Amino acid sequence: MARKILIVDDDPDLVEAVTMILESKKYAVAAAYGGIEGLQKAKSEKPDLIVLDVMMPDKDGYAVCKELKSDPTLSKIPVLLLTAVVSKISTTRYTQQMGLETEADDYIDKPVEPEVLVKRIEALLAK
Amino acid sequence: MPTQTNILVIDDDQTIRDGCSRILSKSGWSVISAENGQKGLDEIRNPRGEIDVVLLDLMMPGLSGMEVLEQSLQTNPTLLVIVITGYATVESAVEAMKRGAYDFVPKPFTPDQLRIVVKRALERRALQKEAAFLRQEREKSLRDIATEKSKIKTIMNSMGDGVLVCDQDGSIVLTNPAANHMFQVSEDDLLGKLLTEAHLPPELASAIDKSLKTTESAFTSISQELSLGAAEEVHLRAHTAPVRNDVGEIMGAVTVFQDISYLRELDKMKTEFIAMVTHELRAPIAAVEQQLTVILNKMAGEVTEKQEQLLSRAKERTKGLLDLIKDLLDLSKIEAGKMVQYKEPLSLPEVIQRVVDLMRAEAEHKKIDLQFSAPSETPVIHADRNSMEEIFTNLISNAIKYTPEQGKVWIVLGEEKGFVKASVSDTGIGIEEKDLSRIFDKFYRVKTAETRQIVGTGLGLSIVKSIVAAHLGSISVESNVGAGSTFTVLLPKESTPMERMKGKQE
Repeated sequence: MARKILIVDDDPDLVEAVTMILESKKYAVAAAYGGIEGLQKAKSEKPDLIVLDVMMPDKDGYAVCKELKSDPTLSKIPVLLLTAVVSKISTTRYTQQMGLETEADDYIDKPVEPEVLVKRIEALLAK
Repeated sequence: MPTQTNILVIDDDQTIRDGCSRILSKSGWSVISAENGQKGLDEIRNPRGEIDVVLLDLMMPGLSGMEVLEQSLQTNPTLLVIVITGYATVESAVEAMKRGAYDFVPKPFTPDQLRIVVKRALERRALQKEAAFLRQEREKSLRDIATEKSKIKTIMNSMGDGVLVCDQDGSIVLTNPAANHMFQVSEDDLLGKLLTEAHLPPELASAIDKSLKTTESAFTSISQELSLGAAEEVHLRAHTAPVRNDVGEIMGAVTVFQDISYLRELDKMKTEFIAMVTHELRAPIAAVEQQLTVILNKMAGEVTEKQEQLLSRAKERTKGLLDLIKDLLDLSKIEAGKMVQYKEPLSLPEVIQRVVDLMRAEAEHKKIDLQFSAPSETPVIHADRNSMEEIFTNLISNAIKYTPEQGKVWIVLGEEKGFVKASVSDTGIGIEEKDLSRIFDKFYRVKTAETRQIVGTGLGLSIVKSIVAAHLGSISVESNVGAGSTFTVLLPKESTPMERMKGKQE
């Protein structure tokens, strides 16, 4: 059975593009267009992995991630954070390593290269 | 200017009047005569010229000499009156002196006696004038001081900046309305109070205390930012400096406050603007690039070769735009002092190694040999980790970009007189002499046939330069066209407590 991936991003164009990437790799894809919807879908869709945008108007990715990780029924789902943060990779990497802002399992910069995204997802699912 | 000396002679005896006139005129003095007391008083009350000395006969018909003496002194208390005593009686002379006469001359007198007495009176008169002149001068300068004082007070009172002055014991001796307003107190709450009892922010009191107690002659001022108000909504910048006397002893301390709340407000707006730019500008471009990527990966169907060519170029352009936005935001953060505010003791080899690891894939892609060597021990520097990664990411990625395939990029760490020295060298295309001085300028890009293909924003090196400067370091570049370039960064070592002490003793 195909693994299911939930993509959470407030930008429908980005959701569509990422969906096409994932579907081409035979993943089942569910989409949510905001943080709150993302949390609901995480519960209803029971995805194997969540691709989560950081900057969302209703509830940002850090907050969503925190809630996911504090819910025992959801905390096992790996979260791949989609960062489009202002600073360069080095900065993001630093905050990641220091565990300052998130409990996400990995992160990737937007826009994503299909191979890189798929590799990261495969690695997280293999854990 | 020589002024005429006027002597008034009041005597009913014509011989005396004429005699006096003759004798005194010989000495160059001008003589006015009055034949009775009333005429004499008229002369004193309405003088035609300034009367210096009065010669007054005591025994006259009509108004007596004593009465004339009293009334003329009422008119002019400093008038010098010499009485002429007819009977050579000491009693009347003493009586006249008691009533304010300056001297007496007994009748009959010789010309010399008269001249001596008058001369003495004139000397006295000169002293009187001198004293009056000095008194006048003093009053004038006092008036000037008062004017100066009120000028300074007016300036202090109308200043927008706050002023607080303490004496050497730490009591507050002067504040202006702006300062009172900033601290939301009345002048009485501060004036005369010791720093410790005046309810000032503790960090301000300690800065003033430090200024008063400093023993360093080179000590100039302490600058700090204070946040006041219930919600810390008032932000002040405070400069505290000791005031020294002629021999360099500290007499007190002056603190000047500027209200920088509006700057904070601007800063907040700037941050919000940056966030807006990030999302509103970057997000659509990222989405476009994402869509292009999907098409180029043939995930939306087959793509012809021509279409692929065009879309690849479109994707390069969106990538360039995203880089530009990132760099602009980084630069604005550095300029706002945000990027380098978390300085900590750092091991530079560790930072560089991490960047080298990140860059390795890019180097391997171009078959470039990327090497990093550091001595076994490198001094610790005091720096912001993100900024350091930014510096070396920029320098190493530039080196890779501008070095042809099969080339070499190497990073060497070392030490140089209190600095840690890091150099990034390559066997790249090099930089021409004319471009060398400008490569650190914002948006400057070297334009040659070889660089045309290389994507960049022209901000990387100016970001690097700003960061290095914010760490009190320096950056330099050497280059040979066609052979390669070396960028050298010097960053100050973190001094150990022992070294700091040594530095102080020197």
